[in-house]
Amino acid sequence: MLLEAKGISKSFGGLSAVSEVDLTIGKEELVSIIGPNGAGKSTLFNLLTGHIRPDKGTVTYKGEDITSRKPYDISRMGIGRSFQKLNIFPRLTAFQNVQASLFSAKKKNHKLFADSCRMLGDEVEEILQSVGLGGQSDTLGGLLAHGDQKRLELGIALALNPELLLLDEPTQGMSPGETVETTELIRGLVRARHISLAFVEHDMSVVFGISDRINVLHQGMLIFSGKPEEVKANEEVQRIYLGKGEK
Amino acid sequence: MTGVGMNRISLLGTSPRNGMMLLGFMIVMVALPYFLGQSWLSITTEMLILALSASALNIMLGYSGMVSFGPAGMYAVGAYTTGVLMEKLGWGMLPATLAAPVMAGLVGALVGWFCVRRSAVYFALLTLAFSQIIWTVVFQWYSVTGGDDGLVSVPVPDFFFEITNCYYFMLAVVSVCLFIIWKIVNSPFGMTLQAIRENPNRVEFIGVNVKRYQLASFVISSMFLGIAGSMFCLFSGSAFPDYAYWVKSADMLVICLLGGIYNFFGPLVGTVVYTVLTKIISEYTMHWHLVLGGIIVLIILAMRKGVVGTLANYWANRKSAAA
Repeated sequence: MLLEAKGISKSFGGLSAVSEVDLTIGKEELVSIIGPNGAGKSTLFNLLTGHIRPDKGTVTYKGEDITSRKPYDISRMGIGRSFQKLNIFPRLTAFQNVQASLFSAKKKNHKLFADSCRMLGDEVEEILQSVGLGGQSDTLGGLLAHGDQKRLELGIALALNPELLLLDEPTQGMSPGETVETTELIRGLVRARHISLAFVEHDMSVVFGISDRINVLHQGMLIFSGKPEEVKANEEVQRIYLGKGEK
Repeated sequence: MTGVGMNRISLLGTSPRNGMMLLGFMIVMVALPYFLGQSWLSITTEMLILALSASALNIMLGYSGMVSFGPAGMYAVGAYTTGVLMEKLGWGMLPATLAAPVMAGLVGALVGWFCVRRSAVYFALLTLAFSQIIWTVVFQWYSVTGGDDGLVSVPVPDFFFEITNCYYFMLAVVSVCLFIIWKIVNSPFGMTLQAIRENPNRVEFIGVNVKRYQLASFVISSMFLGIAGSMFCLFSGSAFPDYAYWVKSADMLVICLLGGIYNFFGPLVGTVVYTVLTKIISEYTMHWHLVLGGIIVLIILAMRKGVVGTLANYWANRKSAAA
Protein backbone atom coordinates (compact mmCIF):
# COMPACT_ATOMS: atom_id res chain seq x y z
CA MET A 1 0.00 0.00 0.00
CA LEU A 2 1.19 3.48 -0.84
CA LEU A 3 -1.10 5.29 1.54
CA GLU A 4 -3.07 3.85 4.37
CA ALA A 5 -5.44 5.67 6.70
CA LYS A 6 -6.64 3.74 9.71
CA GLY A 7 -9.63 4.76 11.78
CA ILE A 8 -9.21 8.48 11.22
CA SER A 9 -11.81 10.72 12.80
CA LYS A 10 -12.32 14.43 12.99
CA SER A 11 -15.10 16.44 14.51
CA PHE A 12 -15.68 20.15 14.49
CA GLY A 13 -17.39 21.44 17.60
CA GLY A 14 -19.25 18.20 18.29
CA LEU A 15 -20.16 17.67 14.65
CA SER A 16 -18.46 14.58 13.37
CA ALA A 17 -17.07 15.34 9.90
CA VAL A 18 -15.09 12.15 9.38
CA SER A 19 -15.43 9.15 11.61
CA GLU A 20 -13.44 5.95 11.76
CA VAL A 21 -12.50 5.98 8.11
CA ASP A 22 -10.13 3.33 6.76
CA LEU A 23 -8.79 4.15 3.34
CA THR A 24 -6.07 2.61 1.25
CA ILE A 25 -4.51 3.69 -1.99
CA GLY A 26 -2.30 1.20 -3.77
CA LYS A 27 0.56 1.88 -6.10
CA GLU A 28 -0.64 3.27 -9.43
CA GLU A 29 -4.21 2.80 -8.34
CA LEU A 30 -6.95 5.22 -9.42
CA VAL A 31 -9.27 5.68 -6.49
CA SER A 32 -12.30 7.92 -6.29
CA ILE A 33 -14.17 9.18 -3.28
CA ILE A 34 -17.82 9.97 -3.72
CA GLY A 35 -20.60 11.00 -1.43
CA PRO A 36 -23.29 13.62 -1.02
CA ASN A 37 -22.41 17.20 -0.08
CA GLY A 38 -21.14 17.34 3.47
CA ALA A 39 -20.14 13.68 3.49
CA GLY A 40 -16.64 14.66 4.60
CA LYS A 41 -14.75 14.21 1.35
CA SER A 42 -12.74 17.40 1.45
CA THR A 43 -12.14 17.00 5.18
CA LEU A 44 -10.76 13.55 4.47
CA PHE A 45 -8.33 15.01 1.94
CA ASN A 46 -7.34 17.70 4.42
CA LEU A 47 -6.64 15.01 7.00
CA LEU A 48 -4.49 13.02 4.61
CA THR A 49 -2.35 16.02 3.59
CA GLY A 50 -1.75 17.47 7.04
CA HIS A 51 -3.98 20.47 6.53
CA ILE A 52 -5.88 19.47 9.65
CA ARG A 53 -4.97 16.93 12.29
CA PRO A 54 -7.19 13.97 12.97
CA ASP A 55 -8.62 13.55 16.47
CA LYS A 56 -8.01 9.84 16.17
CA GLY A 57 -6.40 7.37 13.82
CA THR A 58 -3.22 7.24 11.79
CA VAL A 59 -2.12 7.94 8.27
CA THR A 60 0.88 6.15 6.88
CA TYR A 61 2.56 6.81 3.58
CA LYS A 62 5.06 4.30 2.24
CA GLY A 63 5.10 2.77 5.69
CA GLU A 64 5.90 6.05 7.43
CA ASP A 65 3.54 7.64 9.91
CA ILE A 66 2.58 11.07 8.55
CA THR A 67 -0.39 11.71 10.83
CA SER A 68 0.95 14.82 12.50
CA ARG A 69 3.35 16.00 9.84
CA LYS A 70 3.07 19.49 8.41
CA PRO A 71 1.64 19.98 4.91
CA TYR A 72 4.99 21.09 3.48
CA ASP A 73 6.64 17.97 4.86
CA ILE A 74 3.98 15.70 3.40
CA SER A 75 4.18 17.47 0.04
CA ARG A 76 7.94 16.94 -0.02
CA MET A 77 7.41 13.22 0.50
CA GLY A 78 5.65 13.06 -2.84
CA ILE A 79 1.98 13.79 -2.24
CA GLY A 80 0.59 16.51 -4.48
CA ARG A 81 -2.92 17.87 -4.22
CA SER A 82 -5.40 20.26 -5.71
CA PHE A 83 -8.31 21.96 -4.05
CA GLN A 84 -12.03 22.14 -4.56
CA LYS A 85 -11.97 25.92 -4.69
CA LEU A 86 -9.54 27.42 -7.16
CA ASN A 87 -6.22 27.68 -5.45
CA ILE A 88 -3.48 29.11 -7.61
CA PHE A 89 -1.18 32.14 -7.50
CA PRO A 90 -3.39 34.68 -9.28
CA ARG A 91 -0.87 37.46 -9.84
CA LEU A 92 1.90 35.21 -11.09
CA THR A 93 1.93 34.11 -14.70
CA ALA A 94 0.99 30.53 -15.57
CA PHE A 95 4.69 29.94 -16.14
CA GLN A 96 5.60 31.28 -12.69
CA ASN A 97 2.82 29.29 -11.03
CA VAL A 98 4.36 26.05 -12.19
CA GLN A 99 7.91 27.34 -11.80
CA ALA A 100 7.38 28.19 -8.12
CA SER A 101 6.28 24.63 -7.51
CA LEU A 102 9.16 23.22 -9.51
CA PHE A 103 11.67 25.33 -7.55
CA SER A 104 10.37 23.72 -4.42
CA ALA A 105 10.45 20.21 -5.86
CA LYS A 106 14.02 20.67 -7.08
CA LYS A 107 15.09 22.33 -3.83
CA LYS A 108 16.10 25.49 -5.61
CA ASN A 109 13.87 27.94 -3.81
CA HIS A 110 16.45 28.95 -1.25
CA LYS A 111 18.75 30.25 -3.99
CA LEU A 112 19.10 33.94 -3.22
CA PHE A 113 21.02 35.34 -6.14
CA ALA A 114 20.40 33.08 -9.13
CA ASP A 115 18.29 34.62 -11.89
CA SER A 116 14.94 32.87 -11.83
CA CYS A 117 13.64 34.32 -15.08
CA ARG A 118 13.86 31.29 -17.38
CA MET A 119 15.29 28.86 -14.86
CA LEU A 120 13.98 25.32 -15.45
CA GLY A 121 12.10 26.88 -18.35
CA ASP A 122 11.97 23.77 -20.51
CA GLU A 123 10.54 21.65 -17.75
CA VAL A 124 7.97 24.30 -16.87
CA GLU A 125 6.86 24.58 -20.50
CA GLU A 126 6.65 20.81 -20.74
CA ILE A 127 4.34 20.65 -17.73
CA LEU A 128 2.20 23.49 -19.07
CA GLN A 129 1.99 21.66 -22.39
CA SER A 130 1.02 18.45 -20.69
CA VAL A 131 -1.96 20.05 -18.94
CA GLY A 132 -3.04 21.82 -22.13
CA LEU A 133 -1.79 25.31 -21.30
CA GLY A 134 0.99 25.43 -23.86
CA GLY A 135 0.31 28.85 -25.29
CA GLN A 136 -0.61 30.53 -22.01
CA SER A 137 2.77 30.82 -20.28
CA ASP A 138 2.68 34.59 -19.92
CA THR A 139 -0.94 34.94 -18.89
CA LEU A 140 -1.54 35.80 -15.27
CA GLY A 141 -3.01 32.83 -13.44
CA GLY A 142 -5.96 34.86 -12.22
CA LEU A 143 -6.89 35.89 -15.76
CA LEU A 144 -7.13 32.36 -17.15
CA ALA A 145 -10.54 30.89 -17.87
CA HIS A 146 -12.00 28.78 -15.06
CA GLY A 147 -11.20 25.45 -16.65
CA ASP A 148 -7.68 26.59 -17.44
CA GLN A 149 -7.14 27.62 -13.83
CA LYS A 150 -8.23 24.14 -12.78
CA ARG A 151 -5.69 22.68 -15.20
CA LEU A 152 -3.05 25.09 -13.96
CA GLU A 153 -3.63 23.78 -10.45
CA LEU A 154 -3.07 20.32 -11.79
CA GLY A 155 0.17 21.59 -13.33
CA ILE A 156 1.29 23.04 -9.99
CA ALA A 157 0.69 19.67 -8.35
CA LEU A 158 2.42 17.75 -11.16
CA ALA A 159 5.51 19.95 -10.90
CA LEU A 160 6.16 18.34 -7.53
CA ASN A 161 6.67 15.09 -9.39
CA PRO A 162 4.32 13.35 -6.96
CA GLU A 163 3.85 9.65 -6.52
CA LEU A 164 0.40 10.24 -5.18
CA LEU A 165 -1.98 12.89 -6.39
CA LEU A 166 -5.08 13.94 -4.48
CA LEU A 167 -7.48 15.95 -6.62
CA ASP A 168 -10.52 17.56 -5.05
CA GLU A 169 -13.15 17.91 -7.76
CA PRO A 170 -10.78 18.42 -10.67
CA THR A 171 -13.57 19.07 -13.16
CA GLN A 172 -15.73 21.24 -10.92
CA GLY A 173 -17.42 24.02 -12.85
CA MET A 174 -16.40 22.67 -16.25
CA SER A 175 -18.71 22.17 -19.19
CA PRO A 176 -19.55 18.55 -20.12
CA GLY A 177 -17.11 18.75 -23.03
CA GLU A 178 -14.32 20.11 -20.87
CA THR A 179 -15.05 17.49 -18.24
CA VAL A 180 -14.53 14.65 -20.69
CA GLU A 181 -11.38 16.26 -22.01
CA THR A 182 -9.93 16.90 -18.55
CA THR A 183 -10.79 13.42 -17.35
CA GLU A 184 -8.93 11.93 -20.29
CA LEU A 185 -6.05 14.30 -19.64
CA ILE A 186 -5.79 13.26 -15.99
CA ARG A 187 -6.03 9.59 -16.77
CA GLY A 188 -3.34 9.90 -19.42
CA LEU A 189 -1.05 11.86 -17.15
CA VAL A 190 -1.24 9.58 -14.14
CA ARG A 191 -0.78 6.49 -16.28
CA ALA A 192 2.19 7.94 -18.15
CA ARG A 193 3.85 9.15 -14.97
CA HIS A 194 2.95 6.10 -12.92
CA ILE A 195 1.15 8.23 -10.34
CA SER A 196 -1.41 6.91 -7.91
CA LEU A 197 -4.53 9.02 -7.89
CA ALA A 198 -7.27 9.67 -5.40
CA PHE A 199 -9.96 12.10 -6.40
CA VAL A 200 -13.22 13.52 -5.16
CA GLU A 201 -15.80 13.94 -7.86
CA HIS A 202 -19.50 14.54 -8.30
CA ASP A 203 -19.70 13.72 -11.98
CA MET A 204 -20.57 10.01 -12.12
CA SER A 205 -19.42 9.60 -15.70
CA VAL A 206 -15.94 10.66 -14.57
CA VAL A 207 -16.05 8.46 -11.49
CA PHE A 208 -17.15 5.32 -13.26
CA GLY A 209 -15.02 6.13 -16.27
CA ILE A 210 -11.62 6.11 -14.64
CA SER A 211 -11.79 4.62 -11.14
CA ASP A 212 -10.16 1.31 -10.30
CA ARG A 213 -11.94 1.51 -6.99
CA ILE A 214 -14.68 3.73 -5.62
CA ASN A 215 -15.05 4.73 -1.98
CA VAL A 216 -18.43 5.92 -0.84
CA LEU A 217 -18.60 8.32 2.08
CA HIS A 218 -21.81 9.07 3.89
CA GLN A 219 -22.12 11.31 6.93
CA GLY A 220 -18.42 11.04 7.58
CA MET A 221 -18.32 7.27 7.38
CA LEU A 222 -16.93 5.07 4.67
CA ILE A 223 -19.88 2.88 3.83
CA PHE A 224 -18.52 1.04 0.86
CA SER A 225 -15.34 0.52 -1.08
CA GLY A 226 -15.14 -1.56 -4.22
CA LYS A 227 -14.88 -1.80 -7.97
CA PRO A 228 -17.23 0.35 -10.07
CA GLU A 229 -19.49 -2.56 -10.90
CA GLU A 230 -19.70 -3.59 -7.26
CA VAL A 231 -20.67 -0.06 -6.30
CA LYS A 232 -23.36 -0.06 -8.96
CA ALA A 233 -24.70 -3.33 -7.60
CA ASN A 234 -24.67 -2.32 -3.95
CA GLU A 235 -28.12 -1.54 -2.70
CA GLU A 236 -27.17 0.64 0.21
CA VAL A 237 -25.13 2.91 -2.04
CA GLN A 238 -27.98 2.99 -4.49
CA ARG A 239 -30.36 4.03 -1.78
CA ILE A 240 -28.41 6.85 -0.19
CA TYR A 241 -26.46 8.25 -3.00
CA LEU A 242 -26.77 7.15 -6.56
CA GLY A 243 -30.51 7.19 -6.91
CA LYS A 244 -32.38 4.99 -9.31
CA GLY A 245 -31.47 6.91 -12.43
CA GLU A 246 -27.81 6.01 -12.16
CA LYS A 247 -28.20 2.27 -12.55
CA MET B 1 -3.39 40.72 -21.46
CA THR B 2 -0.17 39.30 -20.23
CA GLY B 3 1.51 39.58 -16.90
CA VAL B 4 4.77 40.97 -18.13
CA GLY B 5 4.04 44.49 -17.03
CA MET B 6 3.13 43.42 -13.56
CA ASN B 7 5.64 41.11 -12.07
CA ARG B 8 8.61 40.53 -14.18
CA ILE B 9 9.21 44.03 -15.43
CA SER B 10 10.96 44.22 -18.73
CA LEU B 11 12.33 47.66 -17.80
CA LEU B 12 15.54 46.22 -16.48
CA GLY B 13 16.24 42.96 -18.12
CA THR B 14 19.41 42.05 -19.89
CA SER B 15 18.45 43.47 -23.28
CA PRO B 16 20.85 46.09 -24.70
CA ARG B 17 18.12 48.75 -24.66
CA ASN B 18 17.52 48.30 -20.96
CA GLY B 19 21.22 48.26 -20.29
CA MET B 20 21.53 51.59 -22.10
CA MET B 21 18.67 53.06 -20.07
CA LEU B 22 20.33 52.04 -16.84
CA LEU B 23 23.67 53.40 -18.00
CA GLY B 24 22.02 56.70 -18.98
CA PHE B 25 20.32 56.92 -15.60
CA MET B 26 23.58 56.29 -13.75
CA ILE B 27 25.35 58.96 -15.83
CA VAL B 28 22.64 61.44 -14.84
CA MET B 29 23.00 60.45 -11.18
CA VAL B 30 26.77 60.84 -11.31
CA ALA B 31 26.47 64.21 -13.06
CA LEU B 32 23.85 65.57 -10.64
CA PRO B 33 26.28 67.44 -8.34
CA TYR B 34 27.24 69.58 -11.33
CA PHE B 35 23.68 70.75 -11.78
CA LEU B 36 22.15 70.79 -8.33
CA GLY B 37 22.74 73.32 -5.60
CA GLN B 38 23.96 72.20 -2.19
CA SER B 39 20.51 72.11 -0.67
CA TRP B 40 18.94 69.98 -3.41
CA LEU B 41 21.97 67.75 -3.46
CA SER B 42 21.47 67.20 0.25
CA ILE B 43 17.79 66.44 -0.37
CA THR B 44 18.77 63.99 -3.11
CA THR B 45 21.16 62.25 -0.73
CA GLU B 46 18.32 61.90 1.76
CA MET B 47 16.17 60.54 -1.03
CA LEU B 48 18.74 57.85 -1.84
CA ILE B 49 18.69 56.65 1.75
CA LEU B 50 14.90 56.83 1.93
CA ALA B 51 14.62 54.91 -1.35
CA LEU B 52 16.79 52.16 0.12
CA SER B 53 14.60 52.02 3.25
CA ALA B 54 11.42 51.82 1.20
CA SER B 55 12.87 49.14 -1.09
CA ALA B 56 13.97 47.17 1.95
CA LEU B 57 10.47 47.41 3.41
CA ASN B 58 9.02 46.37 0.07
CA ILE B 59 10.82 43.01 0.21
CA MET B 60 8.26 42.24 2.92
CA LEU B 61 5.36 44.38 1.79
CA GLY B 62 5.28 43.91 -1.97
CA TYR B 63 7.14 40.67 -2.50
CA SER B 64 6.16 38.63 0.53
CA GLY B 65 2.75 40.15 1.24
CA MET B 66 3.67 40.94 4.84
CA VAL B 67 2.36 44.35 5.88
CA SER B 68 4.86 45.61 8.43
CA PHE B 69 4.06 48.72 10.44
CA GLY B 70 7.46 48.68 12.07
CA PRO B 71 10.29 49.11 9.55
CA ALA B 72 11.43 52.22 11.43
CA GLY B 73 12.44 50.01 14.35
CA MET B 74 15.04 48.19 12.27
CA TYR B 75 16.10 51.43 10.61
CA ALA B 76 16.78 52.86 14.06
CA VAL B 77 18.67 49.76 15.14
CA GLY B 78 21.00 50.32 12.19
CA ALA B 79 21.40 54.04 12.88
CA TYR B 80 22.05 53.56 16.60
CA THR B 81 24.40 50.64 16.08
CA THR B 82 26.66 52.80 13.95
CA GLY B 83 26.13 55.87 16.12
CA VAL B 84 26.78 54.20 19.47
CA LEU B 85 29.77 52.22 18.24
CA MET B 86 31.41 55.35 16.83
CA GLU B 87 30.46 57.89 19.48
CA LYS B 88 30.54 55.81 22.65
CA LEU B 89 32.99 53.04 21.83
CA GLY B 90 35.27 54.82 19.42
CA TRP B 91 34.92 52.27 16.61
CA GLY B 92 36.05 53.25 13.16
CA MET B 93 33.48 54.08 10.50
CA LEU B 94 33.89 50.89 8.51
CA PRO B 95 33.34 48.33 11.28
CA ALA B 96 30.61 50.51 12.78
CA THR B 97 28.69 50.58 9.52
CA LEU B 98 29.25 46.90 8.82
CA ALA B 99 27.91 46.11 12.28
CA ALA B 100 24.61 47.86 11.46
CA PRO B 101 23.11 45.23 9.12
CA VAL B 102 24.40 42.47 11.39
CA MET B 103 22.71 43.97 14.44
CA ALA B 104 19.53 44.81 12.52
CA GLY B 105 19.51 41.27 11.13
CA LEU B 106 19.83 39.78 14.62
CA VAL B 107 17.11 41.99 16.09
CA GLY B 108 15.04 41.30 12.96
CA ALA B 109 15.43 37.56 13.49
CA LEU B 110 14.26 37.85 17.10
CA VAL B 111 11.34 40.17 16.37
CA GLY B 112 10.47 38.31 13.17
CA TRP B 113 10.39 34.98 14.98
CA PHE B 114 7.46 36.26 17.02
CA CYS B 115 5.77 38.22 14.25
CA VAL B 116 5.58 35.52 11.55
CA ARG B 117 3.61 33.37 13.96
CA ARG B 118 0.64 35.56 13.11
CA SER B 119 -0.59 36.86 9.81
CA ALA B 120 -2.42 39.83 8.32
CA VAL B 121 -3.52 42.46 10.80
CA TYR B 122 -2.05 40.62 13.80
CA PHE B 123 1.31 40.50 12.08
CA ALA B 124 1.06 44.22 11.34
CA LEU B 125 0.19 45.05 14.95
CA LEU B 126 3.03 42.92 16.29
CA THR B 127 5.53 44.70 14.08
CA LEU B 128 4.15 48.03 15.26
CA ALA B 129 4.40 46.94 18.89
CA PHE B 130 7.99 45.79 18.53
CA SER B 131 9.08 48.95 16.77
CA GLN B 132 7.50 51.01 19.55
CA ILE B 133 9.39 48.89 22.07
CA ILE B 134 12.60 49.72 20.20
CA TRP B 135 11.60 53.37 20.26
CA THR B 136 11.00 53.21 24.01
CA VAL B 137 14.34 51.54 24.65
CA VAL B 138 16.14 54.16 22.58
CA PHE B 139 14.17 56.93 24.27
CA GLN B 140 14.90 55.78 27.82
CA TRP B 141 18.37 54.26 27.75
CA TYR B 142 20.25 57.51 28.37
CA SER B 143 23.65 56.01 29.16
CA VAL B 144 23.88 54.31 25.76
CA THR B 145 21.55 56.04 23.31
CA GLY B 146 21.48 59.51 24.80
CA GLY B 147 17.74 59.14 25.41
CA ASP B 148 15.54 61.86 23.97
CA ASP B 149 18.60 64.02 23.27
CA GLY B 150 19.79 61.41 20.80
CA LEU B 151 23.36 61.05 19.66
CA VAL B 152 24.41 64.41 18.30
CA SER B 153 28.13 64.19 17.78
CA VAL B 154 28.81 60.94 15.98
CA PRO B 155 32.42 61.39 14.86
CA VAL B 156 31.92 60.82 11.16
CA PRO B 157 35.04 61.38 9.01
CA ASP B 158 35.53 64.89 7.58
CA PHE B 159 35.01 63.38 4.16
CA PHE B 160 31.25 63.48 4.77
CA PHE B 161 31.12 67.19 5.55
CA GLU B 162 31.47 67.92 1.87
CA ILE B 163 27.99 67.17 0.54
CA THR B 164 29.26 66.09 -2.88
CA ASN B 165 31.47 63.43 -1.28
CA CYS B 166 28.62 62.32 0.90
CA TYR B 167 26.30 62.13 -2.10
CA TYR B 168 28.70 59.96 -4.09
CA PHE B 169 29.28 57.67 -1.14
CA MET B 170 25.56 57.19 -0.61
CA LEU B 171 24.97 56.75 -4.33
CA ALA B 172 27.52 53.94 -4.35
CA VAL B 173 26.21 52.19 -1.24
CA VAL B 174 22.55 52.52 -2.22
CA SER B 175 23.24 51.35 -5.80
CA VAL B 176 25.03 48.25 -4.57
CA CYS B 177 22.27 47.50 -2.05
CA LEU B 178 19.51 48.00 -4.62
CA PHE B 179 21.35 45.74 -7.03
CA ILE B 180 21.51 43.03 -4.37
CA ILE B 181 17.81 43.48 -3.55
CA TRP B 182 17.04 43.27 -7.26
CA LYS B 183 18.94 40.00 -7.49
CA ILE B 184 17.16 38.61 -4.44
CA VAL B 185 13.62 39.43 -5.53
CA ASN B 186 14.26 37.98 -8.97
CA SER B 187 15.78 34.76 -7.69
CA PRO B 188 14.01 31.46 -7.02
CA PHE B 189 13.88 32.62 -3.40
CA GLY B 190 12.14 35.83 -4.49
CA MET B 191 9.71 33.83 -6.63
CA THR B 192 8.89 31.69 -3.62
CA LEU B 193 8.20 34.84 -1.59
CA GLN B 194 5.84 36.05 -4.30
CA ALA B 195 4.05 32.74 -4.34
CA ILE B 196 3.63 33.06 -0.55
CA ARG B 197 2.26 36.57 -1.04
CA GLU B 198 -0.25 35.27 -3.55
CA ASN B 199 -1.44 32.27 -1.62
CA PRO B 200 0.36 31.20 1.56
CA ASN B 201 -1.89 28.19 2.12
CA ARG B 202 -1.26 26.79 -1.33
CA VAL B 203 2.48 27.20 -0.95
CA GLU B 204 2.47 24.84 2.04
CA PHE B 205 1.24 22.17 -0.37
CA ILE B 206 4.09 22.60 -2.79
CA GLY B 207 6.47 21.72 0.02
CA VAL B 208 7.47 25.17 1.27
CA ASN B 209 7.84 25.94 4.95
CA VAL B 210 6.06 29.29 4.76
CA LYS B 211 7.05 30.61 8.20
CA ARG B 212 10.71 29.98 7.52
CA TYR B 213 10.59 31.95 4.28
CA GLN B 214 8.63 34.74 5.90
CA LEU B 215 11.25 34.92 8.63
CA ALA B 216 14.03 35.00 6.03
CA SER B 217 12.23 37.82 4.26
CA PHE B 218 11.89 39.66 7.59
CA VAL B 219 15.60 39.29 8.35
CA ILE B 220 16.77 40.34 4.89
CA SER B 221 14.46 43.33 4.93
CA SER B 222 15.72 44.26 8.41
CA MET B 223 19.34 44.08 7.30
CA PHE B 224 18.80 46.52 4.46
CA LEU B 225 16.76 48.78 6.72
CA GLY B 226 19.72 48.64 9.11
CA ILE B 227 22.08 49.72 6.33
CA ALA B 228 19.75 52.60 5.45
CA GLY B 229 19.64 53.71 9.09
CA SER B 230 23.39 53.48 9.37
CA MET B 231 23.80 55.58 6.22
CA PHE B 232 21.49 58.22 7.60
CA CYS B 233 23.54 58.31 10.78
CA LEU B 234 26.69 58.97 8.71
CA PHE B 235 24.87 61.54 6.59
CA SER B 236 23.53 63.52 9.53
CA GLY B 237 26.22 62.73 12.08
CA SER B 238 23.45 62.02 14.55
CA ALA B 239 20.77 59.59 15.62
CA PHE B 240 17.44 60.42 17.26
CA PRO B 241 14.63 58.36 18.79
CA ASP B 242 12.36 59.70 16.03
CA TYR B 243 14.05 57.28 13.65
CA ALA B 244 12.23 54.45 15.40
CA TYR B 245 8.91 56.24 15.77
CA TRP B 246 5.84 54.92 13.94
CA VAL B 247 5.63 58.11 11.88
CA LYS B 248 8.83 57.08 10.15
CA SER B 249 7.32 53.66 9.40
CA ALA B 250 4.23 55.35 8.02
CA ASP B 251 6.40 57.48 5.71
CA MET B 252 7.99 54.34 4.28
CA LEU B 253 4.64 52.60 3.85
CA VAL B 254 3.12 55.61 2.09
CA ILE B 255 6.12 55.83 -0.22
CA CYS B 256 5.74 52.17 -1.20
CA LEU B 257 2.01 52.55 -1.80
CA LEU B 258 2.52 55.74 -3.77
CA GLY B 259 5.04 54.18 -6.10
CA GLY B 260 3.41 50.76 -6.26
CA ILE B 261 4.30 47.73 -4.18
CA TYR B 262 4.21 45.07 -6.88
CA ASN B 263 7.07 46.61 -8.75
CA PHE B 264 10.74 46.89 -7.95
CA PHE B 265 10.80 50.53 -9.03
CA GLY B 266 7.68 51.50 -7.10
CA PRO B 267 9.42 52.48 -3.85
CA LEU B 268 12.12 54.37 -5.77
CA VAL B 269 9.64 56.46 -7.73
CA GLY B 270 7.48 56.80 -4.61
CA THR B 271 10.43 58.29 -2.75
CA VAL B 272 11.00 60.92 -5.43
CA VAL B 273 7.30 61.83 -5.68
CA TYR B 274 6.89 62.00 -1.90
CA THR B 275 10.04 64.00 -1.21
CA VAL B 276 9.61 66.45 -4.05
CA LEU B 277 5.96 67.02 -3.16
CA THR B 278 6.89 67.61 0.48
CA LYS B 279 9.60 70.11 -0.35
CA ILE B 280 7.61 72.02 -2.92
CA ILE B 281 4.39 72.22 -0.94
CA SER B 282 6.13 73.21 2.27
CA GLU B 283 7.58 76.23 0.49
CA TYR B 284 4.12 77.58 -0.17
CA THR B 285 2.11 76.82 2.91
CA MET B 286 2.51 76.06 6.58
CA HIS B 287 -0.30 73.54 6.30
CA TRP B 288 1.69 71.36 3.94
CA HIS B 289 0.77 68.17 5.78
CA LEU B 290 -2.87 68.72 4.91
CA VAL B 291 -2.18 69.41 1.24
CA LEU B 292 0.30 66.54 0.96
CA GLY B 293 -2.17 64.16 2.59
CA GLY B 294 -4.88 65.23 0.16
CA ILE B 295 -2.63 64.73 -2.85
CA ILE B 296 -1.51 61.32 -1.63
CA VAL B 297 -5.11 60.22 -1.13
CA LEU B 298 -5.93 61.36 -4.67
CA ILE B 299 -2.93 59.60 -6.21
CA ILE B 300 -3.65 56.36 -4.39
CA LEU B 301 -7.34 56.48 -5.35
CA ALA B 302 -6.60 57.28 -8.98
CA MET B 303 -3.66 54.93 -9.30
CA ARG B 304 -4.53 51.89 -7.27
CA LYS B 305 -1.37 50.09 -8.26
CA GLY B 306 0.81 53.07 -7.48
CA VAL B 307 2.50 55.36 -9.97
CA VAL B 308 4.81 52.73 -11.45
CA GLY B 309 2.25 49.91 -11.44
CA THR B 310 -0.32 52.04 -13.19
CA LEU B 311 2.13 53.30 -15.79
CA ALA B 312 3.50 49.81 -16.41
CA ASN B 313 -0.02 48.48 -16.95
CA TYR B 314 -0.86 51.37 -19.27
CA TRP B 315 2.31 50.71 -21.21
CA ALA B 316 1.69 46.95 -21.44
CA ASN B 317 -1.90 47.56 -22.62
CA ARG B 318 -0.77 49.98 -25.29
CA LYS B 319 1.85 47.53 -26.46
CA SER B 320 -0.61 44.66 -26.69
CA ALA B 321 -3.17 46.93 -28.38
CA ALA B 322 -0.60 47.92 -30.97
CA ALA B 323 0.48 44.33 -31.56
